[in-house]
Formats: sequence, C-alpha cells, structure tokens
Amino acid sequence: MDKNLHIDIIKTKLTEFNVGFLENEQNLILEIDQADLINVCKILKTNSDLDYCMLIDVCAVDYLTYGEADWTTNDATNSGYSRAVKQTIIPEADETFTDRFAVFYQLLSLTYNERLTLKVFTTELNPPSVPSLNKIWNSANWFEREAFDLMGIHFKGHPDLRRILTDYGFIGHPFRKDFPTNGNLEVVYDEDEERVIYRPVSISTRPSVPKVIRDKNDRE
Amino acid sequence: MGLTDKDNEIIDQQGPGFVITSVDKLVNWARTGSMWPVTLGLACCGIEMMHSAAARYDTDRFGVFYRPSPRQSDVMIVAGTLVNKMAPALRKVYDQMAEPKWVISMGSCANGGGYYHHSYSVVRGCDQIIPVDIYVPGCPPTAEALINGIIELQKKIKAEESIANG
Repeated sequence: MDKNLHIDIIKTKLTEFNVGFLENEQNLILEIDQADLINVCKILKTNSDLDYCMLIDVCAVDYLTYGEADWTTNDATNSGYSRAVKQTIIPEADETFTDRFAVFYQLLSLTYNERLTLKVFTTELNPPSVPSLNKIWNSANWFEREAFDLMGIHFKGHPDLRRILTDYGFIGHPFRKDFPTNGNLEVVYDEDEERVIYRPVSISTRPSVPKVIRDKNDRE
Repeated sequence: MGLTDKDNEIIDQQGPGFVITSVDKLVNWARTGSMWPVTLGLACCGIEMMHSAAARYDTDRFGVFYRPSPRQSDVMIVAGTLVNKMAPALRKVYDQMAEPKWVISMGSCANGGGYYHHSYSVVRGCDQIIPVDIYVPGCPPTAEALINGIIELQKKIKAEESIANG
C-alpha cells in the first residue's frame, strides 16, 4: 500500500484526537496526549484499515540533558576533531520540568506491513506515569516492567508492576540521566559474616569525556 | 604417575608387577585426571567453554567433564559476567562444592569486571566473592586459552603436597 495513503487513513481515523505527526523517510511517529493514549491504541489495534495487532517494543527516554553535551564537535577534518571543552554538570531534576520523560511504543501491522511509533510525554513528575497498555497488547507486560525498573515510569493499571532486571532490593532507576554510572552499592563476600554483603561503591566516577579533551580543558 | 628416572630404574631391575610412588603423587594424579567442573556459563564466555568441551577440543581427554551439580564437582569455571544479582547464588554454589575445590576465572569480566568495570550492576571481578586459582585472560578467551588454563591448574595441583605437609 502507498505510504501516504496509509498516513491519510491514520489521520482520518484519529481526527478527534490531538495528534502530532512527526515523519521522516523511514518512520512515522505519532505524538499523542497521555489522556488519549488508550483510545488511540484501541483504534490502531481494532480498526480493520490499520490493524496494528503487534506491540514490538516499549521504551522510555529521559530528556533531562537533551541538547546538552560534555563536549561538542565544531568541525571534523582528516586529521582529527576540534571540540569545545566546557564540561557540564548534570542538573538537578526540576519539579516544573514535566516533559522530562517520554514513552515510545513501536507498533507493527502484520496485515498491511506498516510500522508506527507512538510518542507520549509523561505529564507529571514524582512519579512520572502513563496508562498501561497491557489490556490492549499482552506483550506490554514485561516491556512496561522493564521501563519501570530502569526509568521509573509508573504504568497505571499494570497488573504486576515490579522490577524485572535489577538486583533484589535495588534502589533507584539506573537509566535515568541523574543516576550515577557506577551505582551506589557493590557486593563483596564478607569472611566474618560468611555471606555476600553490600557496601558503598569503592571506585570513583569515570568521566565520559575523552582524555585529549580533558587535557585540553585543563590547559585553558 | 610422576615417576622419576630412578623409579623407572627400580622397575626395570625388579621387573613388572609393582610401582613405587609417593602418596602425594598418587593423590594428585587422581585429582588432576578427573577435574569435573560445575557448569557455570554466565555470558559469551560460556559459549567458548562449550566449544572447549565439544568434539573439536574435547576436554574429556583431560578428564574434564561438566557436571550439573556442585556436589559432584571439583572445579568451578566462572565463565562470563558476574552481576550483583548472581553473586550470592555463585557463592552458594561454591560453598556447596566438596573439598578439595578450585576455581578458574574465565575472561575479562570474571577477572576484574572487564568491559563492565564501571557498571552499577556488575561485580568487579569474581575474586570479590570466591577465591580464584587461575585467571584466563581474553574477551572471550578462546577454547585453547581455557584448555591452557586447565592445564595450568593441573600443574598447580600437581605441585601440592597435601599429605607430606599434613
């Protein structure tokens, strides 16, 4: 089917919702309001002209440091790069910064061989939350648990929202931009207690800025 | 069986029928000839460990024969990334192994965290959890490298004098 035709169909089916169309050559991304998420997904799945019967993946994005970089490239030549050398500090999470997290859903229509990405911003912080799609696509169950585990997104209505990957009793959400890369705890065997214990992490944070850039930064 | 030239001389003089050795050599010969490792493939190193056990390299030639239970094992080959969540389980498996027991740490991750040294969820070397006898470097080490590690461990065991030293 013609791609534009398919986009037109989506547009006509979703006229009653506030939908932003972000297209590029490969992908069609729909940015939708959190309140519309469930209804939009029901239409995308059940409408016979769309038939997005498969949820491929759910992922969450942290926009805390979006657009900021430890080091940037002004130009690249055959001999190397010239880069700005200002080191940024990860900002504190701001209560008013409600557009910090977005959740992305990758959909596939097996009938029409079309793929679609949904983008939903969380409208609140502490905790950031979006409605669960588990009742529409069963595959959302573990995807949403993963997003909850690593990003701390709360999926309202999820039947079993608990951690799936990290250690038992883990504190924090490691994929957030303000989580330290080294973590907070490390495990070690204690000879006296004869068991594996937790202790504060013993190594220091390693900067992600390359050494040549850091050295240049020191010189200036 | 670790016979010296002198031993062979005695055998030649006396004819076949008996051998002379020390108890230590006999014990070590038995130990090195049947090192059964507990199967502990944690990551990609586990694939390389399987290669070493399969037809081409065939560690069964050395009596190295993988066991599903720590109770039946003499050696633990920690093959792969040891994460925090796995650490208590790994220690439990090690504690369940019968003495005498040895540990081969296979690959960069088990040796010292390797690629994941700065991670929030990875143990920076399995020697934080259990005592290690042999470190096999590589990411992952080839099957030959692991076999070399096994042979080095055999040499280490052969040098032990557990009877003579009480």
